[in-house]
Amino acid sequence: MEKYFNAKYIWESFPLLIPYIKVTFLVAGLSVLFGTLLGFILAAMKLGNSKIAQIIANGYTTALRCTPSIVLLFLVYYGIPKIAENFGVNLSDIDKIIFIVITFSLQFAAAMSEVIRSAYQSIDRGQFEAAVSVGLSNAQAYRRIIFPQAFVVALPNFGNSLLELIKEGSLAYTIGLIDVMGKASLIIDGRFNAHALETYLALSIIYWVISIAIEQLFLKLEKVFSKGKQVINPT
Amino acid sequence: MSDGLNYSFLVKTFFTALSGVPTALMITIVALFIALPLGFMLALTRINRIPVLHRFAQVYVSFVRGTPVIVQIFIIYSSVPLVLTSFFKKFHIETNVYDINPIWYAFIVFSLNTTAILIEVFRSAISTVSKGQLEAAYSVGLTNVQAFRRIIIPQTLVVALPNICTATVNLIKATSLGYAMSLQEITLRAKVAANVGYNYVEAYIDIFLVYLILCSLVEYLFKIYEKRLRKYKAANA
Repeated sequence: MEKYFNAKYIWESFPLLIPYIKVTFLVAGLSVLFGTLLGFILAAMKLGNSKIAQIIANGYTTALRCTPSIVLLFLVYYGIPKIAENFGVNLSDIDKIIFIVITFSLQFAAAMSEVIRSAYQSIDRGQFEAAVSVGLSNAQAYRRIIFPQAFVVALPNFGNSLLELIKEGSLAYTIGLIDVMGKASLIIDGRFNAHALETYLALSIIYWVISIAIEQLFLKLEKVFSKGKQVINPT
Repeated sequence: MSDGLNYSFLVKTFFTALSGVPTALMITIVALFIALPLGFMLALTRINRIPVLHRFAQVYVSFVRGTPVIVQIFIIYSSVPLVLTSFFKKFHIETNVYDINPIWYAFIVFSLNTTAILIEVFRSAISTVSKGQLEAAYSVGLTNVQAFRRIIIPQTLVVALPNICTATVNLIKATSLGYAMSLQEITLRAKVAANVGYNYVEAYIDIFLVYLILCSLVEYLFKIYEKRLRKYKAANA
């Protein structure tokens, strides 16, 4: 078995890996969608008046923050079919990607609930009162006054959570999803475990580029939306 | 197979998982022990813009934060043996690199990883301490080391502590990936126990509980320490 480093394999790995980025993004995109929805519900629970809802939402966030993604992933992967079995539903031939999306939605929701809560609380209460006092309805006040401002505050944290999500998403390979990470381990198996290092280096470069791109994108977005903020507060 | 949870297994495996806690904690402590001073030093190079090191730290942080931990683990796990083998061959040392305890790889990976996280934490924390503090310290005759030890570091620590807490919790969580290096920590021990009777759900509930207890405990300890430091800050102010 040849065990020496050969940079040629790094280049060879790129064209094999790049098509699978879309699977990574698919998982991330779906998780962001569902996770943000659930995050909104959790944030509403935290901000609401009900003590029980607050305890549930805070407990959920703490528990999820203390759980490694890989543990949550397997808990969902093995746990949900088992629960379903008790109700007589057979989930054994469901697509794996669903479990992965559930896992990362749950995790993303915990992060998002904190992002949304802190963004909402950063907006002065007076803004809402002022909006209502000029005759906007509650829904209008939220939609036109609170949300646009909270959105700008939430943006950097949202970007960080998204990066975290994409990185954690690499663990999906453990239950057999073929995303970039899964493809990398397939390539390595195909080469009989030789040149693992080169393949992983190629993989790390792909992730690195994705991360930098997302980071830059969010910096740009922040600039674009902060511009509006300065116009609102000219005093 | 649908006969609910196997409770006796659940209880028994809980202690199996618990027996992996020392390994996880050991990696966490060693990683923090290496990363705290190193991260602080490199954060200083970034703030003072020391020519080469500053660029190096920047690229290093960007790389570590931009790639998944599992990929970092695989890179170290497959590159270090390559380097060591050629090194041993050169000096004719008869050691089989594959006999090395995987915990050494874990130390390397998690120290490198945590260093990058802490560089950013310290960088933002140091920049909150005003430059006047350092100048004041010099003007009353403290040396550089004294100024940092007595004036800058205590103030930095107060600001950095919540982020260090997050980093520590993330580190503990990340040790669960040690299974990729066949490291005998919480996750792998419980998983191996589950392999016998396919009691995966129970095993993962146990793992979940162990991490929950461990991380909550760490967060609680940090909160206490933070309160103490805050008191100290208020007394100084």
